[in-house]
Amino acid sequence: MNAGSVGTGVPRVGGRERVNGSQQFLADIRLEDMLHVKLVTLDVACARIDSIDTSIAVHLPGVACIVTPADLPQPMPRFGPVYRDRPFLADGATTYHGEPVCAVVAESRDMAEAAAEAVLVGYTEVPGVFTIDAALAQDAPLVQSPSLRPDDPLARSNVLRERRYEWGAIDETDTTVVDHVYSFPMVTHFAIEPHGAIAHADDDGLTIWSPVQHPYLLQRTISDLFEQPLARVRVLAPDPGGAFGGKQNPKFEPLLTWIALKTGRPCRLILTLEETFQAVRRTSCSIHVRSGFRANGELVFHDVESDFLVGAYADIAERVVAKANYLACGPYRTPNARIVARAIFSNTTPSCAFRGFGTPQVAWAIESQMDAASRLLQLDGLEIRRANLARFGEDVVPGDVPADGEWQQSLDRAAEMIGWGRPPLEGRGRGIAVAIKAGATTGLSQATVRLLFDGSVIVYAGTSDMGQGARTIFAQIAADEFGVTVNDVSVVSGDTAIVPFDLQTSASRSTVFMGNAILAACEDVHRQLRSLAAEITGLEAADVEIKGGQVHVKGEQHSIATVLERGLGRLRGELVGNGTVRRADDPDHPLGGAPAFYEFNCTAFEVSVDGETGEVLIHRHVTVGDVGRALNPLQVTMQDEGAAIMGLGHSLMEQLLLDDRGRIRNLGALDYRIPTTKDMPLELESEVIENGDGPGPRGSKGVSEGAILCTAPALAAAVADATGVVIRDLPLTPERVWSALKAGVAR
Amino acid sequence: MRAFDYARPSTLVEAFELLSAPDGGVKALAGGTDLLVGLRNGAIRPRAVVDLKHIRELAPVIRADKECMSIGANAVLAQLTASEGLRRDYPALVESAAVVGSVQIRHRATLAGNLCNASPAADTVPALLAYGADVVIRGPSGERRVSVDNFVLGPRETVLTAGEIVTTIVLPTPKPGTGAAFARLTRRRGVDLAILSVCCLVDPEGEVRFGLGAVGPRPFLVRDSAAAVVSSTAAEQFAALVAKASPITDVRASHDYRQAMITVLARRTLAAAIERSSWVSP
Ligand SMILES: Cc1cc2nc3c(=O)[nH]c(=O)nc-3n(C[C@H](O)[C@H](O)[C@H](O)COP(=O)(O)OP(=O)(O)OC[C@H]3O[C@@H](n4cnc5c(N)ncnc54)[C@H](O)[C@@H]3O)c2cc1C
Repeated sequence: MNAGSVGTGVPRVGGRERVNGSQQFLADIRLEDMLHVKLVTLDVACARIDSIDTSIAVHLPGVACIVTPADLPQPMPRFGPVYRDRPFLADGATTYHGEPVCAVVAESRDMAEAAAEAVLVGYTEVPGVFTIDAALAQDAPLVQSPSLRPDDPLARSNVLRERRYEWGAIDETDTTVVDHVYSFPMVTHFAIEPHGAIAHADDDGLTIWSPVQHPYLLQRTISDLFEQPLARVRVLAPDPGGAFGGKQNPKFEPLLTWIALKTGRPCRLILTLEETFQAVRRTSCSIHVRSGFRANGELVFHDVESDFLVGAYADIAERVVAKANYLACGPYRTPNARIVARAIFSNTTPSCAFRGFGTPQVAWAIESQMDAASRLLQLDGLEIRRANLARFGEDVVPGDVPADGEWQQSLDRAAEMIGWGRPPLEGRGRGIAVAIKAGATTGLSQATVRLLFDGSVIVYAGTSDMGQGARTIFAQIAADEFGVTVNDVSVVSGDTAIVPFDLQTSASRSTVFMGNAILAACEDVHRQLRSLAAEITGLEAADVEIKGGQVHVKGEQHSIATVLERGLGRLRGELVGNGTVRRADDPDHPLGGAPAFYEFNCTAFEVSVDGETGEVLIHRHVTVGDVGRALNPLQVTMQDEGAAIMGLGHSLMEQLLLDDRGRIRNLGALDYRIPTTKDMPLELESEVIENGDGPGPRGSKGVSEGAILCTAPALAAAVADATGVVIRDLPLTPERVWSALKAGVAR
Repeated sequence: MRAFDYARPSTLVEAFELLSAPDGGVKALAGGTDLLVGLRNGAIRPRAVVDLKHIRELAPVIRADKECMSIGANAVLAQLTASEGLRRDYPALVESAAVVGSVQIRHRATLAGNLCNASPAADTVPALLAYGADVVIRGPSGERRVSVDNFVLGPRETVLTAGEIVTTIVLPTPKPGTGAAFARLTRRRGVDLAILSVCCLVDPEGEVRFGLGAVGPRPFLVRDSAAAVVSSTAAEQFAALVAKASPITDVRASHDYRQAMITVLARRTLAAAIERSSWVSP
C-alpha cells in the first residue's frame, strides 16, 4: 500500500491552509478596479415599495451607481433551480425580511454602506404570513402572485405543491394507535464564510467567482439569463468556507453580473453574517403522524401529514419536501403508509437545501412515534427498532430500491456502545434512533485524468470541496490506480472553463458519483497504457494487465513511469483519460429516479437533566454509519462528528425567532446559538460499519449527512427516559424542558 | 462600519478634554468587546473614539490595599481570574469573571468596561454588588466615589457625565469567614449572555446579600440582615428577591422562566455561599 492509499486516514488536502489562514476564500480575492456592492434592505418583512429616492445617496463619495428595479429589464428577470420565481431585486414589494430593494455600487465597501443608508425607500407595510396556520388560513394573503404559476391549480393558495405517497391500506383493526404532532424550527446554516460573489464582464465573456456548490448550474443560469453561450460564461468557484446546502443555487450572482455588465468593472458583494441569515435557512415544519402497531411492536401503518413551511421563493425547497417525505417512514418495513406532504410558501427567508435535506425533520416525527409506541407497548427503544428495521434486500418503500445495507449491525453496535441494557446511573436516561436518507436519484459527473510523463497525475473533478474533503478522496483514488502517493496527485476543481461538467455537489454524492467517474477516467488511461506497453514489448494489449498501480506483462512487473518513459519517448507527452457517470432520469419514479444508495445512521445518547433548570447534559453521544467502505477513515469520522454536532444545534438550541411581523429577532451571532466546544457531549464517539455494499469506489456509500439525521429523536428519547417527560417541539432548550417538566407532560 | 476619529491619549487630563467634547459624540474604548459590537451594528455612531488603554494613570493593576482591593480600569478579566488575592478573598467575583465570553474575550475585556457598559446582564456586576464595591470616577472637575449600586442607573445608563472616566473599582475586604458564590444560567454552555445571574454572599454573622443580573433594567442588590433566608431553604424565603425583580421576555428567555429561575439560582448560590462561610446555623 502506498502512502495515502484508499483506506488510510491521510490528512485533508488543503486542511493546513484552512487552519493557518492561507487559503484564499472568496472574500480574499481582490481584483484590480473592483467595485463593492451593498444591498439596501428594509427592517420589515412585507412591504409595498412606494418610492426609492437615491438622489442624496448617489452623490455621496465613491458611489459609482445605484441599481433600482426600474433600471432592470421589465418584466424583472427571475430565476431558480426548479421554479423561476426569484427576481434580481424585490419586484414592487418585499416578500420577506431582508429582501434586497436596490443595490448601491461604490469604490469601497464602507462607501457603499454609507450610501446604502442614505437611500430613502418609501414603503407601506402590508400583511404577510409567517406560520403554517397563517399561510393556510382561508383568506391568507398570497406570498406569490398567481401569475408566476399560470397553469397551477394551487396558484391561488400558498401551497406550492402537495405530494402524495401511498402503499398498502391503512386499517386500524387490532392495532395500538399513536397520534402526535411534531414541530421542527427554522434554523440557519451558519457557514463560517458568509455568502458572496464577484462578477466581471469583459471581451472574453462573463466571469463569476462564487463559493457555490453547483458551479455548472450557476454557469447555466447566467448563460440563460444573459443569453450567452456556455463557453463565454466562466464560473470560478473557490472552496466554500462551509456551505451545508446553503450555497447550492444562485442567489445574488445574476444581479452582480448585471451590475458588472453595466459598470464594465468587477463587482463584489460579500454579505454580512446577518444578511446571510436572511438569505438561507432550513425548512421548518409541523408533522402530524398517526401510526398503528401490533402488541408485539410490529409496525402496521404510518399516516403522515407533513406541512413544510418554505420561504417566499421556492429555491430547491419543494424538492426537499418531496424527497424527505418519500422516505418519511424511515428504514423500516412499513407495510402500509399514506404520506401527504405540502410545501407551503410564507413571507420568510427562502428555505433551501440543508445537510440532511429534510430527513432530520421527518425522522424527528417518525422516530419519536416509534418511541411513543414503545412506551405504550412496554418495549424499549431498541426492541421496537429491531422488530421493524428492514433487513438487507427487504423493501422500505415497496417496489423501490430495497434496503442496501446490513442496517441492524449499526443498530446493534450503537446499542452496545451506549451500554443499552445495562441499568443507567441514577438520573440518567438513554435514547436510540435510526434514519435513512435517499442518496442522489439522478446525476452526471465527468472527470478527466492526465497521467503525466513522470507518472504523476492531475485529476480534473468539478466537485466543490467545501470541507467534506472531496479533493483528498479523489487524490487517494487516483494515487492507487497509478501506484503513486497522494503527493504525486493534484486535483483541479472550481473552474468551469477547464474542469469538465459535474451536475452538483450535494446529497453526499461526490465520492460515489465523481469517485466512479475518476475511476472510469483512470481506466481510460489504463487502456492507453496497456496499448503502450504492448507496443514496447511487441505483445498484444490483452497480454498486459494494470494492477495495484503496476504494469504486468506476462509475469513481469514494470512501474508505470518506466512504461511511460519508454513508450512516450524523447518527445514526452502524456496520457489523457475521461470518465463519465450518468444516472439518468426515470420519469416513472415519483422522485424522477431511484436513490443511488441509502445513507443509514444510528445515533444513541445517554443524558441527565437538571430537574430545576431544564438543562440537558449529554454524558455520551454515539453514532454509527453504514458507510459501505471508509475510503478515508479520518475524514469519515470528521464528517460524522461534524454532522452529529450540527444535529445537536437544532436539537438543543438553534432556532430563528420571528416577531409577529415576520422580522427575525435573533439575527446574528449574539442571539442565534450554535453549539460551541463547551457544548460538546462529555463523550462523543463515531464508528462505521463496512461491508463494501455501496455503489461507490470499493463499495463505498456517501457519508456526510448520516449523523445529523436522527440526533433529535434519539436525544429527546433519552430526555424522556431520564425525566418521564416527552417533548415534541424542537429545540430542547432549558426553558422548553423546564416548562415540560413543570407541566408534567404525560407519556 | 462608519468612519470615526481615533485618539490614544497618554494622560487622564488629555482624555478628559477629548471626552468632554460638547457634541457628546465621543466614546471611551477599553477592551472594545462591547463597543465594537455596537459600532459594527450601528447601535452607536460616535464621531470619535478615545482609547483608554495607554493612559499612564490607568495601569492595568490589581492591588491589595489596607481594607480593600483595587482593580484598575484597564485590568482585564483574565487578570482577575488569575489573581491569587481575588481568588482567595473574592471567589464569587472570580467565578463571574470566568464566565464572561471566552478565553479570547477575557484577555481583552475589562472589569470597568463590563460595569460601564451598563448591560442588565453584565455578569460581574451582581458580584460587585454583593461585595459592596465602589467605583472611583475622575473627570474634568475632580474625583468622586459612588457605590456600584448607585453607579448603574438603567440599561446603558450610568452616572458618568461627559468627560468622566472610571479609574478604579474598589472592593472592601470581606469579613473573615465570609462565603460567596456566583451562578448564571445560559442557553448553551459556551460563550453566551446570561438569562439571569445571581451572586450570594453570606457573612459570618449570617447576613445575606444577593446581587441579581438580567432580571431587571439593571443588576440590583437585595439584603437580608435578619438571616431569615439562611435559616431556611424553603422557596418562599426568596420571595423578596422575586418581588424586586422585573424580568422581561426576550430572545433569551421568557419572563416566567427567568422568574422561576431566580429562586433556583438563589437557593444554589446560598447553599454554596454558606458552605464557604464560617457561619453556622444557630
Ligand atoms: C463574544 C462576546 C461574548 C461576551 N460575553 C459576555 C458575557 O458572557 N458576560 C458579560 O457580562 N459580557 C459579555 N460580553 C460583553 C463584554 O465582553 C463585557 O461587557 C466586557 O467586560 C466589556 O469590557 P471592555 O473592556 O471590552 O469594554 P469596551 O467595549 O471597551 O467598553 C464598554 C463600554 O464601557 C465604556 N467604558 C469602558 N471603560 C471605561 C472607563 N474606564 N470609564 C468610562 N467608561 C468606560 C465604553 O465607552 C463603552 O461604552 C461579551 C462580548 C462579546 C463580544
